[in-house]
Amino acid sequence: MSEFHDDYPQYEFMAHHSEEAGKAKRRKLWNVFWIMLVVTIVELIIGFNAKKLGLLHDDRTSTFTLKVIFIGLTILKAFFIVYKFMHLGDERKFMKYSIIGPYSIFIIYLVFIIVGEANYSLIHKDKMDKIIVDQKEKANRDAEKGHHGEEHGEEPSEGEHH
Amino acid sequence: MSGHVAETDSDSAWSGGKSPFGVSYGKVFMWFFLVSDALTFSGLLCAYGFMRHRHPEVWPNPGDVFTHFPFYHGHIPLAYVGLMTLILIMSSVTMVLAVEAGHRNDKKKVTIWMLLTIIGGAMFVGSQAWEWYHFIVGTDHGALRSVFVDGKWVEQTVYGANMTVNEYGLPVFANFFFFITGFHGFHVFSGVIINIVIFTNVIKGTYAKRGHYEMVEKVGLYWHFVDLVWVFVFTFFYLL
Repeated sequence: MSEFHDDYPQYEFMAHHSEEAGKAKRRKLWNVFWIMLVVTIVELIIGFNAKKLGLLHDDRTSTFTLKVIFIGLTILKAFFIVYKFMHLGDERKFMKYSIIGPYSIFIIYLVFIIVGEANYSLIHKDKMDKIIVDQKEKANRDAEKGHHGEEHGEEPSEGEHH
Repeated sequence: MSGHVAETDSDSAWSGGKSPFGVSYGKVFMWFFLVSDALTFSGLLCAYGFMRHRHPEVWPNPGDVFTHFPFYHGHIPLAYVGLMTLILIMSSVTMVLAVEAGHRNDKKKVTIWMLLTIIGGAMFVGSQAWEWYHFIVGTDHGALRSVFVDGKWVEQTVYGANMTVNEYGLPVFANFFFFITGFHGFHVFSGVIINIVIFTNVIKGTYAKRGHYEMVEKVGLYWHFVDLVWVFVFTFFYLL
């Protein structure tokens, strides 16, 4: 079949299948597409009507329920892409878990850290915002001072050029 | 695809001389690359989530920002990104159909489906450029924002968004938007280029000669990954 990897007889480079098997596979793939399309449309409908459905705080920020719905539907779509389109569902168990496992561990850890830190910084928001405002005011004061300083400072350098 | 793999018992699978994963070297490492790339995107989206969680009341509402639709004067939030999502999912389907045709060594079908995938990818990149254009130009009325001019912070009317000011709210929203969608758009762009390379090889008959279309499958993995990332970007930037 191929000049590569002749010492690896346990697998072939490609799954070859017949015309009939192909037909069934194509039908399945199109079904996945329709599912993804419906999920996306449902997402958009929920997005359009979030206000009416009472899923927004103060008419703008998403509620926890809305976040769970959207993230759940997204993960559903991700599952279909990875398992059906990328054929990870058809791979051997070893392969499946060495892809999904490390990624999931890192992601759960990262989300845990981020949520914790974001909550912390939200609790201390007033203190942190004050630091930013102070910095801005200080920048303005420095600019005032620096402006006058520059005018004085320019004279000797001009003298040097002359 | 490994339904074709001769079953190896787990005792001898790792003792050498065979592929314990039942897939070729190239595909294993395409998967590992995609995992690392997925972690990069996850990191970016988590950072985005952090800033968003920290500034709940001044964060721009995406429904107010992305309201344009081509050839239509008015505001319909989300419609255009919905269309972009559809285009990308569609091109993912054409890609997987090209892979399936490759399994049957059907060169003509592979060519057609690959071509449609490339067109879909190009349409998506174009749509993203259009979206950026409208985000950068902004609205006619603008908004009053605190801007850093000549070393001083002053209130000024700004139009549209760039790396330092953002008409719609916090500048950091614009920074994240440009970086994450830009990084994704760059992935789409390079995906289109790689697809074109593989497409050329398909036409030239390189893979027909080789007896298998595994390269189409590998580039397909990358292409589906791009779609996968967009699904998440779409949720976190536009829906939530």
